[in-house]
Amino acid sequence: MTPHDWYVENRSAFVASALEPEEERTFRDHLPRCEECRREIARLERDLGWLPMAVTPVTPPPGFTHRIVGTVLRRPGRTWGLLPWAAAAAALLAVGAGTWQLRADRDRIQARLEDRERRLLAVEDTLSILRQARQVTQTSISMDGREGGLVIFQDPVTHRWCVVVHGLPPAPPGSVYQFWFVTSTGMVRSVEVPAEGDRPAFLTVAMPGVAAPVMGAALTMEPMVNRTGEPTGPELAHVMF
Amino acid sequence: MTPPDRRIVPASGEVAADRARGRLLSASREASLRRRLAARDERALVELVEIATPWLLGLVGGMLSDADEAEEVVLEAFARAWDKVGTLEGGEQDGLIPWLFRIARNRAIDRLRRRARRRAKYVRAEAAGALGSGKVAPLEPNEAAQPGWYVHTQVHAALGALPAEQREAVELAYFRGFTHSEIARQLAIPIGTVKTRLRLAFDKLRITLGPIKDWVP
Repeated sequence: MTPHDWYVENRSAFVASALEPEEERTFRDHLPRCEECRREIARLERDLGWLPMAVTPVTPPPGFTHRIVGTVLRRPGRTWGLLPWAAAAAALLAVGAGTWQLRADRDRIQARLEDRERRLLAVEDTLSILRQARQVTQTSISMDGREGGLVIFQDPVTHRWCVVVHGLPPAPPGSVYQFWFVTSTGMVRSVEVPAEGDRPAFLTVAMPGVAAPVMGAALTMEPMVNRTGEPTGPELAHVMF
Repeated sequence: MTPPDRRIVPASGEVAADRARGRLLSASREASLRRRLAARDERALVELVEIATPWLLGLVGGMLSDADEAEEVVLEAFARAWDKVGTLEGGEQDGLIPWLFRIARNRAIDRLRRRARRRAKYVRAEAAGALGSGKVAPLEPNEAAQPGWYVHTQVHAALGALPAEQREAVELAYFRGFTHSEIARQLAIPIGTVKTRLRLAFDKLRITLGPIKDWVP
């Protein structure tokens, strides 16, 4: 399960307005940054566009039609039609004047922009988890004379964690740092943790697809060849909730 | 809550012609309405109000359980539509009536969310007997002249094809504005079950309502 799967699974609930207010805010914050979700939401709304016709129509009270029309047309300050055209014309002139210069740098700027957007998306997603976290668990890790740590932020809204690992030395050749879920029926492998010197590693993890409840987490050092099953290397941290 | 009044609203001219065919709005008529609305033709606004108001009142009234508030929301929806119809003009995929439904429904949801004491909605809805299938019942055959009757029966067939527990979840979420947790409390089932039922139901509805989306006379 990827972090984006939560949004995919909740698209129809968003259209139906069945999400809790906090979930809806999270989803709404996500939409401007995700073209796929915007497209799918628009498609869902079109597909379900006639669903309201299931209701029994209600005869309007006497005079209601005239009240609607009168109220709509009497509202002051409506300059519809003029301002949008004026704004569009002004924008067109501005864009046209600068087009020749922009075209030369377009590819380079676009590539940089896309890269920035990807990084910004990742940062915003991480921040949303940190902001919504209701439980934070931390433990220290001593290794090769260095003091590091493991911090877990649990987001109850999207059911994801932000795992922060800091202060660890680079993993020895042939080994990796491995993050695990501790469940009532055993350890479930999660993500590998990159150790980049003094820079902490921020990782977003979704809950494992197992029925057993998650009771804790662990960090081990594993040989690169061991990509399945239970941990075999030394355990560096173990926390229970 | 005001009980649904099933009298047929008097109509004239083109409205009556479409009504006789049991349709809400033909494709050519919709295109004409869009053009005239965008050109600020006030008669087009009157026509749109005549066609859509009974359905909007039925939808919003069911959600808010308050006839007065429903009328306010419908009025707001038409005001919004009048202001924004120019932006819809080129959006052929977005039908005029579904768009109006969406505006009104979003307004109703906003009101529900703003209510300080959300619990009161439950009490009013339960007292009025609005929960369950009461408000989304099919029209009687002798009401076939009601504009939109054709679409109404198609939507009902789609809802009727759903398993009862999925239909119930759709009614509470879509037609009452309840959230996952409110539905779970109402039905005394886990939230995960509510989410699954809704997801399955909407997946099916997308398929069965598809032809209506593309309907032309």
